[in-house]
Amino acid sequence: MATKPKVYALSTCPYCKRTRRFLDEHKIAYDVVEVDLLDDAEQDKVLEEVEKLTNRRSFPVVIIGPTIIVGHDEEKLKKALKL
Amino acid sequence: MTVHEVTRVYCPVCQAKFRFSEGWKAGDIVVCPVCGQKLRLEMQGNEWVGARPEKGQEKEIRERVDEYARIKGYVFNDMKEELLEGLLGKNRRFGDFYCPCRMEHVPEFMCPCRPTRSGDVERDGKCYCGLFWKKK
Ligand SMILES: [Zn+2]
Repeated sequence: MATKPKVYALSTCPYCKRTRRFLDEHKIAYDVVEVDLLDDAEQDKVLEEVEKLTNRRSFPVVIIGPTIIVGHDEEKLKKALKL
Repeated sequence: MTVHEVTRVYCPVCQAKFRFSEGWKAGDIVVCPVCGQKLRLEMQGNEWVGARPEKGQEKEIRERVDEYARIKGYVFNDMKEELLEGLLGKNRRFGDFYCPCRMEHVPEFMCPCRPTRSGDVERDGKCYCGLFWKKK
């Protein structure tokens, strides 16, 4: 894969945890941003990114190449990761 | 103003003022009929307010969500424990039991959040976080 998948998550959201667990279990290396734990300035920047990508503030968001997946969705993850 | 003229109790969780029932007195433990929070009746100035006897404790949020589900006839699914873990995380990091799947930590998003109390579950079949579900 060209670039590592990126996950935008909230530290308290169990669906975000499930998405990360799914990636871990499939030995997928990814970058993660826990949006709620960022400081204010950084958080504003990241939220803007997320809103631009998805038109909302819903988590988790997974970026896999050109694919953007909002919410924990194992079928979509499998398809995008060709698992 | 005397006590018998005051007819409402302020709930610090959902910010509703619910009816004061006849016979209640200071120190009584009552349940907010709007959000399910357990409250100890106190007089503050001229107003009855509910205090949260177990504020911030796991017991408080467990009892609140169970009571709210009971009042509304909602049910839980197998995400319940993980969502409660998230609510406890919100309380640890952000000071109260806010929606675990939302970014914002504002009073209207204290669980059960205002959108939930305004009919999200009736409309969508579940609340934003998927804690409360409409019975099928
Ligand atoms: Zn209440």
